[in-house]
Amino acid sequence: MSVVAVSNGPTRTLRLTGCDALDAANAAEIKREALALLGDHPNAVVDLSGVSFVDSAGVGVLVGLFKHARGRGGRVRFCGLSPGVRAVLELIQLDRIFEIFDDAEAAAR
Amino acid sequence: MAERNADKSAQAHATGTFPDLTELCRIHEIGLDLIDKSHDLDGLLDRVLDEYETRLQRLPSEALDARAGAARGDGAAQLRGLVMFATQAAALKEKAVAAGELRRKAAMLEESNARLQQALDEARRAHARLEGVLAALSSGVMILHPEGGAVTANGAARALAGLDDDPERARLIVAGVPRDGDAEIDLPVFQDRRTLLVSRRALPGGTGEEVVLVTDVTSRNDAVEERVRLEKLAEVLKTLSVLSHKINNPLTALLGRAQMLQAHKGENPMVVKAATVIEESSLRIADLIRELTRVVKEGRHEALDQLLDMNASAQESGR
Repeated sequence: MSVVAVSNGPTRTLRLTGCDALDAANAAEIKREALALLGDHPNAVVDLSGVSFVDSAGVGVLVGLFKHARGRGGRVRFCGLSPGVRAVLELIQLDRIFEIFDDAEAAAR
Repeated sequence: MAERNADKSAQAHATGTFPDLTELCRIHEIGLDLIDKSHDLDGLLDRVLDEYETRLQRLPSEALDARAGAARGDGAAQLRGLVMFATQAAALKEKAVAAGELRRKAAMLEESNARLQQALDEARRAHARLEGVLAALSSGVMILHPEGGAVTANGAARALAGLDDDPERARLIVAGVPRDGDAEIDLPVFQDRRTLLVSRRALPGGTGEEVVLVTDVTSRNDAVEERVRLEKLAEVLKTLSVLSHKINNPLTALLGRAQMLQAHKGENPMVVKAATVIEESSLRIADLIRELTRVVKEGRHEALDQLLDMNASAQESGR
């Protein structure tokens, strides 16, 4: 799995592609890549439409990105959640903590 | 440990009672500091996210994997602990968001109140200025309610209309004035009659109230009458001036002939008497003409009145 970044004004969109799982096998690498691509951008959209499975390590990556943006006075919004990913976030109530949108366009608004 | 706490939580849920907040926090594995931070959304989120990271790192990878079936053993207990913590944390976060929204609305309300207070103060100052202007006006200003009574009146209106003695006089004043019209009315004020110019106008706003302006025009009318009288006097004096001049020439001739008759009177007593009467009358006319000329030069009606009175007295005594 890799991360592709697209800049749209002050908001940077990160799209996770190449593999449908964000888990312990690639979490550290994805987190490193994503943080490097975010740089000092305070606001970001993380498009998870390419991810169908996430484990605790993968959720940890999402929490880490969320904290990273907050630390810079910005916001990370998530979009494109598959039913499996959404179910995991709902199970541990992160859907009530994160800002989640249906698609990247709505998230970037 | 976590499993034991989860069991206690289940028991607590079953009984529906919690001994105290500390016990509640212990059962749900959340710190009291989390609740302390619940009034501060940023602080709360920081604390919650740290806790999430810590718990997610402890959680076995497969614990969240629905494909692997239900988590087992220690993983299941940790997941239950995470879920319980997450439930409390999410509720606190939503409470903090709602509290923040309330604070924002309260701040807006406070700001709005401050603006309203400012507008109220400005309105009070404007009202005070208006009251000052109304009090300083020599014209009377009244606001009448739809039934005709005075809602308010400035000092001049109260004095002119005698409202202090009888508030109902406002109705009397406007009775003869058409709505949105003007009229002069004569009104007894104390032991005098005054002429008042009264104007009625509807106040905007559809309340049916009217503003009434009352101006005492008695002295203005007196001044108009005096001006007319002076204009007439000027005409009379002008006529007198012309008459005096026209009478003076034949009078001089008449007096000359009377004096000639006196000089050649002979012995005829009738001629002597007639010449004397003509001369005396001519002299009286000449005096009158001189007096008229003086009056015309002075241009005062008192002098004319005095002359006319003297002449009338002279005629009375001459009869």
